[in-house]
Amino acid sequence: MKLEIDDKTVEIEAGNTLLAAARSIGIDIPTLCYHPALEPFGACRLCSVEIEKRGRTKVVTACNYPVEDGLIVRTNTPDIIEIRKLLLELLLARCPDEGRIQSLASEYGVSKPRFQIEDEHCILCGLCTRVCEELVGVSAINVISRGVEREVGAPYNELSDDCIGCGACALVCPTDAIRLEKNIYPTTAEDIQEIEGKFLEGERDEVLGVFSDLVAGKASTGGQDGGMVTALLISGMKNNLFDAALVVRRVEGYNAEAVVVEDEQGILSARGTKYLRVPMMSKLEAALKAGKRRIAVVGTPCEVKAVRKLQQQRDLEREYPGIELTILGLFCLESFDYDGLKADMSSRFDVELDKADKTQISKGKYIVTAGGKDYSCDVRDMEAIVREGCPYCGDFVSQLADISIGSVGSPDDCSTVIVRSKAGKKLLDAAEFVSAEVDKKQIVKLAKLKKRNADRNLATILDGVQ
Amino acid sequence: MAEINLKRVDEIIEGYKGEEGVLIQLLLDIQNEFNWISPEAIARISEQMRIPKSQIYRIASFYKAMSLKPVGRHIIHVCMGTACQVRGAPKILDRIEENLKIKEGETTSDMRFSLKRVNCLGCCAMGPVILVDGTYHGKITSAMVESILGQYE
Repeated sequence: MKLEIDDKTVEIEAGNTLLAAARSIGIDIPTLCYHPALEPFGACRLCSVEIEKRGRTKVVTACNYPVEDGLIVRTNTPDIIEIRKLLLELLLARCPDEGRIQSLASEYGVSKPRFQIEDEHCILCGLCTRVCEELVGVSAINVISRGVEREVGAPYNELSDDCIGCGACALVCPTDAIRLEKNIYPTTAEDIQEIEGKFLEGERDEVLGVFSDLVAGKASTGGQDGGMVTALLISGMKNNLFDAALVVRRVEGYNAEAVVVEDEQGILSARGTKYLRVPMMSKLEAALKAGKRRIAVVGTPCEVKAVRKLQQQRDLEREYPGIELTILGLFCLESFDYDGLKADMSSRFDVELDKADKTQISKGKYIVTAGGKDYSCDVRDMEAIVREGCPYCGDFVSQLADISIGSVGSPDDCSTVIVRSKAGKKLLDAAEFVSAEVDKKQIVKLAKLKKRNADRNLATILDGVQ
Repeated sequence: MAEINLKRVDEIIEGYKGEEGVLIQLLLDIQNEFNWISPEAIARISEQMRIPKSQIYRIASFYKAMSLKPVGRHIIHVCMGTACQVRGAPKILDRIEENLKIKEGETTSDMRFSLKRVNCLGCCAMGPVILVDGTYHGKITSAMVESILGQYE
């Protein structure tokens, strides 16, 4: 395709957009809602350009208009400048305090909008919702309602059960808006630093996060590996460190749900790892609303992030006086999709997952025990059924928990425990277990692997951020 | 509260399984059957059609034809188009609001009526006109409001 942009000839393959063609020859067109890794959206209209075809001119958005042979494109006619000025004037009136809008506006000589000044931060560019949908794949937030009521948010304006706290939305947001969202948990590097300072205690290890103690233990309660989560919960409750625990329990075969348990029986019913992601935050909020205050939450790194983010951004003490959350984080490389895992087990081993006694991941192998027999395969071969979003999470050891537990790093039949705060230390001190040697290198290796993969994925997003 | 029969929701979903781009039609079916789309119904669709909840919520919150709040057994649309307006539609709306003790956009506590305003029903010659469920009541006066509403239980 051969076309002309601002009197320069450019040749580019069909299927490209006007924006790509212009940028390929160094012509800058301003954009707000465009990101190279995402489908063009045409929401901000800032990339409006004039095109001429068979002597007729019209205005189109360069980000999603495909190149055509013989097209004449003008990116800075007085009309186009006027359009951009008006858009920026409107945006500046809507979001007067946003640096990116301010600088674009001043670039175009717009200073005092004629319109009523509002106190908004979101410009509705949709970058956050699209990155969450198209790249991360969880679609925790979306554009809700229409017209003047249009806004970005989680369904029903309630705490999201889908958000995994990866922070991709915060990376792409051209303003401060996403940080002000109340129902999702985007956790940026600054947030992690702030949370560590506020809640955790110990030395900061670059890979494993803040911790004061690293032990391996085996408890007599039974459960996954050394059964340490179960043991910590039981002794914690006995010693009155909390009154209730939010745990994940199998229901209907292998499928699982988060439940609040308040006695040893309940804790024991939730033994064993499920490798599934289940709605958690709505259950926590329901428990708080039902009057529970001192709750131990057992969660994967994404759930730990969500709870911490909630503690960081909301005044929970005012909302729920007496609130005391103890966070037990699990080691997690990734979780699986229930339907996918079920189908995979059935085709791979002819095993009915719902009837499985136990599932386990050890030394890179996924092991399912059913009918007294073990079946195993490489976890790496199960990539197709990994839950969406997991590749964007770089936290293997639940860095923000009060105490983290997992199998990696300790002998078989033992669990590794990382103590990260006073609450975590109290919890470990109260538990009875036989200790064993920890191999920190093993943990570091996997933690680095997960971080590296996530960083690579997040880099795709960062690369396109203006 | 207008209960939504989740079994029936499942049946409706079943009819669309395996097809692409059917979300709007599916939501409309649920809307038509129950007059609103409940959080439980959205959760069900999300689970079975494997569509994230926020995407379903986005569609359901965008279209006026879909309601995310329970609505009454009968829906009254009061036409506020220009022709009806000049012939006294505001007075009719006032009278209905007074009669049902709700405001436009709300539902009576006994779930009998929901009241909505529309900008034009397209039958200006009949104005002022109100639409109750599928029936057009044209050339009405505020004095007629009570007897019209009385026809609906």
